[in-house]
Amino acid sequence: MSRDRSDKEKDTLKGTFTSVMLLGGFIALSWLGVFILFINR
Amino acid sequence: MTATVMQASAADNKRPFDGKDAKLVLAHLLVAFTALLLGGVAGVLQGLVRGGMIELPSEIGYYQILTAHGVLMALIFTTFFIIGFLYAGVSKTMGGKLLGVVSRMGWAGYVLMTVGTILGTIMILANEATVLYTFYAPLKANPFFYIALVFVVVGSWISGYGIFTQYRYWRRTHKGSVSPLFGFMAVATMLVWQIATIGVAITVLFQFIPWSFGWVEKINIMISRTLFWYFGHPLVYFWLMPAYMCWYICIPKIIGGKIFSDSMARLSFVLFILFSIPVGFHHQLMEPGIAPVWKYIQVVLTFMVVIPSLMTAFAMFATFEQTGRAKGARGLFGWLKTLPWGDVRFFAPFMGMLVFIPAGAGGIINASNQMNAMVHNTLWVTGHFHLTVATTVALTFFGVAYWLIPHVLGKQLTPRMNRLGIIQTIIWLIGMFFMSGSMHTVGLFGSPRRTAYTTYGDHPDAVFWMPYHVAMAIGGTILFIGVILMFCNMIALMRAPKGDEKTAAEFPIGETADAAEPTPKWIERWGVWVGVLVVLILFAYTVPFGDMLVNPAPGSKPWVTW
Repeated sequence: MSRDRSDKEKDTLKGTFTSVMLLGGFIALSWLGVFILFINR
Repeated sequence: MTATVMQASAADNKRPFDGKDAKLVLAHLLVAFTALLLGGVAGVLQGLVRGGMIELPSEIGYYQILTAHGVLMALIFTTFFIIGFLYAGVSKTMGGKLLGVVSRMGWAGYVLMTVGTILGTIMILANEATVLYTFYAPLKANPFFYIALVFVVVGSWISGYGIFTQYRYWRRTHKGSVSPLFGFMAVATMLVWQIATIGVAITVLFQFIPWSFGWVEKINIMISRTLFWYFGHPLVYFWLMPAYMCWYICIPKIIGGKIFSDSMARLSFVLFILFSIPVGFHHQLMEPGIAPVWKYIQVVLTFMVVIPSLMTAFAMFATFEQTGRAKGARGLFGWLKTLPWGDVRFFAPFMGMLVFIPAGAGGIINASNQMNAMVHNTLWVTGHFHLTVATTVALTFFGVAYWLIPHVLGKQLTPRMNRLGIIQTIIWLIGMFFMSGSMHTVGLFGSPRRTAYTTYGDHPDAVFWMPYHVAMAIGGTILFIGVILMFCNMIALMRAPKGDEKTAAEFPIGETADAAEPTPKWIERWGVWVGVLVVLILFAYTVPFGDMLVNPAPGSKPWVTW
């Protein structure tokens, strides 16, 4: 059982998934920030 | 249908580099770093003038050094480094040495490009070509400046043919195998370059040269700008693709891991071939004379080219995480701790990757029509490309130089050199934080790019920009220290102690992860990719370009404003 968990931990890409989500969020927020600036001008 | 990919072994990476090929590679790197040094001098002067800290002697113009900075850094440093790097990898992974004919093509290209560089630099220093690196009409340079550009471009074409020749030879002698990843990516990069430079070749040969010699009276500015940007955006990818090659192929080996997926790496490069060219209008969004629907279509295609960069980001994170977990890392981000932070071969390119996150986000903003109206021709854009080419690409190239120079010479990357490399990277990051950060911010406040020091008659808006311009000058000065250190590091790398089998610097070529899917053979059907690209180019350009030809603008006489 614990070996299964260890293998799972070895193969997982949850850090990658979280990282790309954060990256996407950063892009979206940057875009939105400048868009709001555009709307307000 | 799939086939075996030729994998590099640890012994291959350590194998001494061919002595004759080493000279060709080093010759390219020497010109590249000399251009970096001269361009850096021009850059720091420019920053200090713009910040109101110094005034140039009357014999030197602000726009003259701005031209020198742009041409030497963006065109010469990059092109020479890229061709040197690609020849090194092609020699290493496709036969262990260049074919005689390929070597001759490499040297012929090098000589032509160097002659062009020297001639172009003389023209700029003689104040005969103060037209900035985009050489927009109706600013007119001395005809020999444009002839110098022809030398550089034709030289790079011949170098590209050399890479294609070695690749074709390799495939003929390895039937049934998929080519090494480095060779595939080198071909893709040079293919983008060959197709993109057709635009700049047409405008220089058929518009600028006849017009600058006075053989024709007027130039169609719209057409010249459109042909320039047909070239200008894929130029960005010509810089970026070799950096991605380091990330995809070399970084996994350096961190002790494997390439996440060979197929995905190749697919991202195929997407760059398809989508990096028919997108030039996103640099012309604010120009009249192009129907909005065609700008819209090219913006959509621009957003398509974001996809391979996002794929690359995913592949990098996955490589880091897989490697870290194989070393026993746990938790969500435990793998970050296992990365070799003290190794400049990793640290410099990694910082380049990190900076590409804000750089890429800024690029998406630039390509969005409404926001482009806000940032167009402001310092925001200058800040943007100082993150992309001058940090992401430059730091990756610097990171490559730390192993490439000692490897081709059979020398060591000593711990002292490695430390100097880390320091150089940190200096670069600090300088760029101040310079590019200020450029982005003050650009949003409306401060224009390509403008010498002025307070616009002490207008409050312009006075408000001043502290940012000073911060830019400080950042630029720190970056100049980084340029000097990099140049000294390059010399030191050439003079490093000789290494033996164990201690000589290796050429890090990664192997694909065992769990990765095999690479499909169709990925190397270049004819298909070029065919689709031609269709996309014709779709994106035929109607608007035809409109420019059928309903031409009046045309302009030459202007020499300096």
